[in-house]
Amino acid sequence: MIHGLIKTVLLLIALSIMTGCKSAPVPPEVREAEQQRIDLRKAGAEIYAPEEYKIYKRSLRDGQIHLASENNRFIWFRKYKDIKVEFTGILAQGKLIEAKVEEQKRSKSVTVANQIDFLRNRIETIRKLASLINEGRLSSKSLTQAELQLAEACALSDRGCYTEAEEKLKVISKHTEKAANSILPILNRYADNSKITKWRNWVNETVESSKRNQSYSIVVSKVDKRLYLYKGGRSYKTYDVELGTNGSNHKMYAGDKATPEGKYQVIKKVPGSRFHRALLINYPNEEDRRQFAIAKKKGLIPQRAAIGGLIEIHGGGKDGMTLGCVAMENHHIEELFRIVDVGTPVTIVGAIEYENSVTSAMKKL
Amino acid sequence: MNKKRLMYVLLGVMMMALLLGCSKKPEAELADSKAVLEAVAAEGGEKYAKEELDVIQSEMTAALDEMAVQDGKFFKNYDKTKEMLAQVKAKSEALKAEIPARKEKARTDAQAALDAATMAVTDAKALLAKAPRGKGSMADIEAFNADVQGLESAITEAQGLMTSEDYFVALDKANGIKDKASEISTQVTEALEKVKASKKR
Repeated sequence: MIHGLIKTVLLLIALSIMTGCKSAPVPPEVREAEQQRIDLRKAGAEIYAPEEYKIYKRSLRDGQIHLASENNRFIWFRKYKDIKVEFTGILAQGKLIEAKVEEQKRSKSVTVANQIDFLRNRIETIRKLASLINEGRLSSKSLTQAELQLAEACALSDRGCYTEAEEKLKVISKHTEKAANSILPILNRYADNSKITKWRNWVNETVESSKRNQSYSIVVSKVDKRLYLYKGGRSYKTYDVELGTNGSNHKMYAGDKATPEGKYQVIKKVPGSRFHRALLINYPNEEDRRQFAIAKKKGLIPQRAAIGGLIEIHGGGKDGMTLGCVAMENHHIEELFRIVDVGTPVTIVGAIEYENSVTSAMKKL
Repeated sequence: MNKKRLMYVLLGVMMMALLLGCSKKPEAELADSKAVLEAVAAEGGEKYAKEELDVIQSEMTAALDEMAVQDGKFFKNYDKTKEMLAQVKAKSEALKAEIPARKEKARTDAQAALDAATMAVTDAKALLAKAPRGKGSMADIEAFNADVQGLESAITEAQGLMTSEDYFVALDKANGIKDKASEISTQVTEALEKVKASKKR
């Protein structure tokens, strides 16, 4: 009886072996999903679609648990139909994430490229503005740091590391902000309409006096870096000039290297100047002395500071620049020196036009 | 009786074959391969051998798949799985052994670039020190000096990156510093030549 039973069981087993006893194959979607998970991670799903990817991974894990549980069933009872359906769903979910990651990356790449362009232009604008007012010293450190970081951000963007590039761009923004803030107080002087109105009035008065007296008058516009020579109220000659470092500010005291703004006149002609030829002007005038006293009282300048003097229009070349004076090419000062006499009015202003090179460059900031 | 015995023997042999067919799941090999693969990642594989690591990870997935296929069979044969896992392990070990050298190369490359950048900044500073003082191109010189200060800050940042072993970032930064320093040196040299020329006039 027992022998008969054993014989039957063994025969059944043998029969099943002979008839190809194996379970249904694991659906290919299982492997595809695992590969998809790796691909999604590589593509940056954790960064660009974090929530969706988290849900996807949970679904995949559930699927794998279901697969394992199916695998644990006795071979004849394993069915992968539901597993196939489940993993097909996971793959579809992954495809959506893949599309979202691609879209996000595309959008990020455009955003980053735009930001890079914006910051590159901003750096260029600040450099240009700083150069216009000879104040590279104030902004160059931050701008150099910004430029270095920008090169790194570009490299990161080229490698598709947009999130890291964006982090760099934030740092660059801080550097450019610092650079802009360092020169803005000076730039704002050239965009201040009340100041420009005052300067325009000085210029008009100077030209008027030239007309009235049928004489020469000199007007220096700092922002234009031009010296205008008027004769009988009409523009007679124009020369390029250069100012010193801090020359864009109004002179407050000795040694500040600023170029004074005001209505002056030539008080001495110096033929044997260190700077070829020189026309000494009467800085400080009454108004300068008054302003100096107020500034000292308010503590805006050092208490021991002197008002300074020896402000000239001199040669030495435009590249030579100066420490508060107005520098010209030697052949230009020779010509001017010949034309003008002691007593010639010299008006130095920040700007003549409301719309000037600084205000137009500032619009790009 | 002899016939019965013969049938039992035959059935017994078949059962033995069946049992032998159900070979043991290579759990130990799997754990070994996983451990070595993780060790590669821990050693810095993502940074220094990303592509190779990705390939090995894909091969690991393939081995797991193969194992899953065998899991599903009545006659389990894990030989291929074992072979695949052994390959993953061997490749991982080889890669792990290569990483210190790659890391060292990245470090020496970054250090060389940083040294070159530091040298370029020193040269630029030396040139600026030679530039005429007083009036002259003071605004330009002051601007260049500020540029150099910016480069010096960047060198400090690059040194920090070396300490934190971010060699590739340090390398990029150092190259940027060197380029900018060379640019400044060229501009200063041009300015100096201009000054010399104007003196001759």
